[in-house]
Amino acid sequence: MRILLVEDDAESANYVLQGLQEAGHNVVIVRDGRDGLFQAAGQEWDLLIVDRMLPGLDGLGMVRTLRGGGIETPVLFLTTLGGIDDRVNGLNAGADDYLVKPFAFSELAARVAALGRRPRRAAQDTRLKVADLEMDLLARTVRRGSQPIELQPREFLLLECLMRHAEQVVTRTMLLEQVWDFHFDPHTNVVESHISRLRGKIDKGHSIGLIHTVRGAGYCLRATA
Amino acid sequence: MQLPKLLRTSSFRLTLLYAGLTGASFLLLFGVVFWSTTRFMDRQIDITVASELSEIEADAQDGDLEHLRGIVQGMIGRVPGYYYLLQDATGKVLAGNLSAIDPLPGVREWPGSAKHPKHPFSGLRGRGVLLASGAYLFVGLSAHQLHEMREMVAGSFLSGLGLAILLALGGGAAMSLGVLRKIEAVSQTSRDIVGGDLQRRIPVRGSGDEFDHLATSLNVMLDRIQTLMEGLRQVSTDIAHDLRTPLTRLRQRLELAQRRGGDERAFDVVLEATLRDIDTILETFGALLRIAQIESGARKAGFAMLDLGELLHTVIEVYQSALEEKGQTLGTNIGADLRVRGDRELLTQLFANLMENAIRHCPAGAHVEVSAHRHGARVEVAVADNGPGIPAELRPKVLQRFFRLETSRTTPGNGLGLSLVAAVAALHETQIELVDNAPGLRAVVDLPGATA
Repeated sequence: MRILLVEDDAESANYVLQGLQEAGHNVVIVRDGRDGLFQAAGQEWDLLIVDRMLPGLDGLGMVRTLRGGGIETPVLFLTTLGGIDDRVNGLNAGADDYLVKPFAFSELAARVAALGRRPRRAAQDTRLKVADLEMDLLARTVRRGSQPIELQPREFLLLECLMRHAEQVVTRTMLLEQVWDFHFDPHTNVVESHISRLRGKIDKGHSIGLIHTVRGAGYCLRATA
Repeated sequence: MQLPKLLRTSSFRLTLLYAGLTGASFLLLFGVVFWSTTRFMDRQIDITVASELSEIEADAQDGDLEHLRGIVQGMIGRVPGYYYLLQDATGKVLAGNLSAIDPLPGVREWPGSAKHPKHPFSGLRGRGVLLASGAYLFVGLSAHQLHEMREMVAGSFLSGLGLAILLALGGGAAMSLGVLRKIEAVSQTSRDIVGGDLQRRIPVRGSGDEFDHLATSLNVMLDRIQTLMEGLRQVSTDIAHDLRTPLTRLRQRLELAQRRGGDERAFDVVLEATLRDIDTILETFGALLRIAQIESGARKAGFAMLDLGELLHTVIEVYQSALEEKGQTLGTNIGADLRVRGDRELLTQLFANLMENAIRHCPAGAHVEVSAHRHGARVEVAVADNGPGIPAELRPKVLQRFFRLETSRTTPGNGLGLSLVAAVAALHETQIELVDNAPGLRAVVDLPGATA
């Protein structure tokens, strides 16, 4: 992916750059909001990673201007502003995701991957399919092979989230946000127990498990071990 | 107090405006009264004179001029203030107590003042008629009384006006001085507070007037500011005390690793443990910041109507599997019509924290019960368990930051969960009540319900 990183702090920028390059992305760094705006508007990018607090033009203003100009490149905000209002403001300005510093790199990597796929996974998809696991979004039914699987509404949402991001790592935090609308970190291993339940329904009795735990990062739904 | 300051006060300016308005309305009233009095009296005179004239004419019916002269002559002096004149066509006075005038018919008036009554015609109003013989008959009435009354009315109005304006100005000055004094008390207090005396409060005089209301509101505001500042001070102290320990531990571990050296694998183990410790510290920071943010009250702007029943079902659903995994059982008893005004995200976290506490501190086999019911205008939510509970004397303390029961030291947690619950409750103008569930703990939150 071609990623534009708008970050004024050199050390932070370097940390993100290194990690993303290792993941095979092509990253360009600019140091302030104004340059960021010109770069973002002047070239094609797959993703913009923007710090909220920037010299020149702040991240919020930059994204608002871009969206106002009809540029719909996905935007991920990075910020030390951990407040709830800040997150809401960021998303209202037109950002697609929001990550509070400090973050584990695996969290950023997972979110970058998820945003990058977004345009190809159209929202009007009515069927999702991974290996022999099929989900019908209209009929709200799931089957593996020829065997139908009964899911609770929230389990359905959880599986949908994993299937939309098939082959990618989905972190605990992403699941908490997208499935339960929890924007804080519960200390109890709630996600783990929901995943193990889902695994029980999806993978039990099949030789190939589809739901994989990625240590220190999250979960991944894929056909191969 | 210097005069210019007094003159600059808004209440004095208001007074001036008020005095002007009083004066204007006085003048208007005076004009109306003066005009209508004059008209009324003029009409009275006209009626009297007309009836006198018609009486004379009736008496002189068919008689000649000489006969008329006799009648007029007889009238003179009978009633003081009445004036008669009969003159022939040449203008020669035949009878009467007036000198000759132009023989003009109709109502005639000679203005005059009560101060100069010497002139015979001054202040005279009457009516003349031209007789068939060419003679002219005039009957007049002295309007001295009228003039006197007019002047009296004018005089009393003017003195009343003067007095009213004087009173308005004097009262205004007194009022402004009073207001200035009260405001001065407020500014003095604020100067004292700026000067560092944060305990100072604006004196409330107990009269219940708007200044008292203002003073009370400002005092409440000052109390709130002080509470916030104390909270802030508390947070900094807490951070200093409670983060020192993990940071010290971290430093020791790193130093030890450096001293010991070793292979890459040994370093990896140390690094992993270090990262975990740092994440815990950062998480504690995050929780502290979040509590501080909630306590600042800024979130109130995001309050909305929400269905607490639905919110509780979501929270229960999230924790149900974790609870069952630990061998605990869950009971729910959630009533209908649980709409409240509040912050969805924070209330979710409040109940999530209560659930988490129950799961974490209760052994396997424990039962957790979530109940929510509407009682009139309030919605009461309770999360109860039959676990070890909290001794009564420690219950208020567990709401404080970083306070942890000795028994819970071995379980993970930063001692901030219930502080956050307390902060969210306070934001919703209520509090968390911890009561004995015999055995166990029952945490009750009483929220103001929203009406349709």
